[in-house]
Amino acid sequence: MLVSVFRGKFALVLKLIFLAATSAILGLLAQHALAQGEFAIAIFLIFAILSINFVYLTSKSIPLKFFLPGLLFLLAFVVGPILYTLAMSGFQYQTGNILSKPEAIEQLIKTGVAQDPDQTIFDVTIGKNKAGEISILYLNTTTNVYAISTEKTRTIEPASGVKMNDFDVPSSSPNFTALTTDELGSLDASIPKLKFFYDGEYYLGLEGFQAASLYKQAIRYDEAKDQFVDLATGDIYKDNGRGNFANVNNKEQFLGSVGWRAPIWFEHYTKLFTEKRLRAPFISVFLWTISFAGLSVLTTFALGLLLALALNKAIRGRRIYRSILILPYAMPSVMSILIWGGMFDTEFGAINNLLGTHIAWFQNAAFARAAVILVNLWLGFPYFYLVASGALQAIPSELSEAAAIDGASPRQIFNKITLPLLLKILSPLLIASFAYNFNNFNLIYLLTGGGPIAQLDGDIAGGTDILISYTYKIAFNEGNSDLGLASAISVIIFLLVASISLYGLKKSKVLEDFA
Amino acid sequence: MKKRLSVVSFAAAAAVALAGFAAVPAHAAGGEIVIWADGQRGPNLQKLMSQKNDWVAGYSFKIVSYSSFDALKAAFDNATEKSGPDIILAANDWVPTAAKAGKLAPVTLTPKVKEQFTAGQLFDLSYKGKLYGLPVDVNNVGMIYNAKLVKSAPKSFGDMVDYYLANKASLKAGLCVAGGGMSWGALGVSTALGAYPYKIKDDGSVDSADPMNATTVAANVSKYLLTSDGKSNGFFPATDTGCKDNFIAGKVPFAIIGNWEWKDYLAKGFAMNLSPVPGTASGTYAPSFGSVSGALLTTYAAKHGVEAGAKTALFNIFGSRTGARMYQKIEGRPAASKDGASFSPTAGQKGFAKVAGITSLPQIGAILNGDKTSYWDALPSFWTAVLVDGKAPATEAAKLAAIYKANLAKGISDL
Repeated sequence: MLVSVFRGKFALVLKLIFLAATSAILGLLAQHALAQGEFAIAIFLIFAILSINFVYLTSKSIPLKFFLPGLLFLLAFVVGPILYTLAMSGFQYQTGNILSKPEAIEQLIKTGVAQDPDQTIFDVTIGKNKAGEISILYLNTTTNVYAISTEKTRTIEPASGVKMNDFDVPSSSPNFTALTTDELGSLDASIPKLKFFYDGEYYLGLEGFQAASLYKQAIRYDEAKDQFVDLATGDIYKDNGRGNFANVNNKEQFLGSVGWRAPIWFEHYTKLFTEKRLRAPFISVFLWTISFAGLSVLTTFALGLLLALALNKAIRGRRIYRSILILPYAMPSVMSILIWGGMFDTEFGAINNLLGTHIAWFQNAAFARAAVILVNLWLGFPYFYLVASGALQAIPSELSEAAAIDGASPRQIFNKITLPLLLKILSPLLIASFAYNFNNFNLIYLLTGGGPIAQLDGDIAGGTDILISYTYKIAFNEGNSDLGLASAISVIIFLLVASISLYGLKKSKVLEDFA
Repeated sequence: MKKRLSVVSFAAAAAVALAGFAAVPAHAAGGEIVIWADGQRGPNLQKLMSQKNDWVAGYSFKIVSYSSFDALKAAFDNATEKSGPDIILAANDWVPTAAKAGKLAPVTLTPKVKEQFTAGQLFDLSYKGKLYGLPVDVNNVGMIYNAKLVKSAPKSFGDMVDYYLANKASLKAGLCVAGGGMSWGALGVSTALGAYPYKIKDDGSVDSADPMNATTVAANVSKYLLTSDGKSNGFFPATDTGCKDNFIAGKVPFAIIGNWEWKDYLAKGFAMNLSPVPGTASGTYAPSFGSVSGALLTTYAAKHGVEAGAKTALFNIFGSRTGARMYQKIEGRPAASKDGASFSPTAGQKGFAKVAGITSLPQIGAILNGDKTSYWDALPSFWTAVLVDGKAPATEAAKLAAIYKANLAKGISDL
């Protein structure tokens, strides 16, 4: 009965509905991506639509019918981000260098204006003159004369014909008709860009719908030479190849506040090893990451195995003990970490109260590291208890029985038989656990925030920072985030974790078995 | 047959997909101004819009609230041309970063709007000489004292320390930071001891000629916060954890609290026993941050074709006395205007406005965010070094002074 549902015309109709719906959703996403200028995403989505329809509507490849969803997700959420991170690691991509170059030039031109020295600003009404041109009517408060300005002209309007509104702002005159609110709204996209004529040097730029200031362009962009000229000083600002227009006479002086993402190729990678300010913390963080991951695996495995061995024998209440031991694993780790954080508090924490001490756990690097390892032990031992329990069941009891008959002590049985066999079974999991802890961001971020950091000594990495939390700090620093450098470190982390994982897979012979 | 069905299915899939394309609105409806705010200001702004719907004739408003200030910041950091707001209610120290990211558009105020605010408040929302929004409300801290423990406000920093040392057995600490954390909230303590990140001249400009004196700070730290053997005397904890609970429980006589949390203390029966942190000399007071939150104009407004409407909204809502009064009546914070205290709705807010009026330091992100080490990281590190690690105050104060000096130089060149 069930089989018939997945075969025949009914199944085909279901498939077609599914394909149509999937295509429609992906089509919507592609359209959004195109609208936002995300062409790579749009191309991928269109590729996904075509490949899904091709694979499921033809019989060219049966295995692809099973693999395609996974492959598409792999491309979208693994390969794509890796490639993007790799690409960004070669760019000057930090606070102040976020936009694209054309966007940055557009903003520099727009903001490269100067108000007149008196910061003159008039209340204005926006409307049309007799010729139907967009214009503004205002009282020039410096000369006490009413005027109508269009983009090209300025005409004096006799005071007698000007009518004022409730706020004493000129609102109409014989040569001027104010725009309605609907008309103003429909012109909002264009009128902020208008420059109304004032005196040749200055123009009137609108500040909303009710005011206009006197401005003049302070810089000029020469597209052919790709440079800006400061119109007041004559200084020239050229593309410095690093995402900013810099003064040719003073390379440290940049134009405006915005720059753009510029390719600097492998500079971030070389900086990590050549600049002492980055190299020293990078190496210390790297060493601590290795230590943290290694110690975490060692301690959690040791405790898990110990408990598994203890409960491997039939003892009274074994089920209850087993249930209790799994509890830390069942509890959301975020909650556990925060509770542990409170327990380690210097003033009010349960640990200091129990020990009768006043240890500043998170203000001292050694104590903070001990706390991190301890909390990770609490979070991680149930996992190894479970897998070790399972693995112990898989070791034939005849082996230890035979050894015992031959006169081996329990310690010898454990050292020579149980442990080697267990390690053989569990080594892929140990390696996977090492790789997991290598990137255990949650624990570090929630428990210590990577601290303590000796900022007074200029340190940028904390005592418990691991590579991933260190990267996060560089990428999302409040004042100055450096996404390019963070991407370079991410690439290095990826290479390390990928190497560890490959080694793990090789060790467990998963690939060979699969082949 | 199957081939024909495949062709039909292709056509059907394409038709549904095209229908999907047609169903997507190309843009939001014209004349809609989108304002982003945090979880407290957003709903209150929504109430303001429902009370008066013609702030800008012909425009409607869409208020998007985020659960917290951090969530709002994260959303703004990730905003795109299509998703970004036209106006955002943000912290003043976001201005330099957001301006550098090309997300903020400058505004020029009419004299009528300008006269509502102090030069310092406008300076708070400026970067490289350009103003990016209008001040909305003031965020500051004040020092509250427990009248059941101490009868009157302390005259000097030493008075507080003396009281603590005399009653140490029954107290957890003398003065702690309950609001604003160990950098923003604790500024008053550090300035009382002489550790200024910068000073402001009478004309409102930054005083670069009078940096922090490390020797004075080290001497004050030793005198007021340490014992003779260089360990913390317990008066001022290096962490803000538990401060609020301990103050409320009567275990700490003095606490620095934020104006946004006053109602919690009111609910616990505390009166407005509020003052700035006293200085080391009797009758003097130490500055704390008095920063403004701002309604900032974004560059997205121009991309959405509502720039003029959004600017007008800024002037009509936040730049007018009517708008500010109406909004703060709902929001309940001290309004960011010269006469904000006169129309603050609660005694608590009037009290904080008074504290800000006695002494406050504008929060200048370009200086505080620093170059290598920010003020936000350096000050907590200083507290830890001298109060927890027991390091020599002279050495640590010298390091702090060096950081402040470097940040001041970098900030001034950046302003």
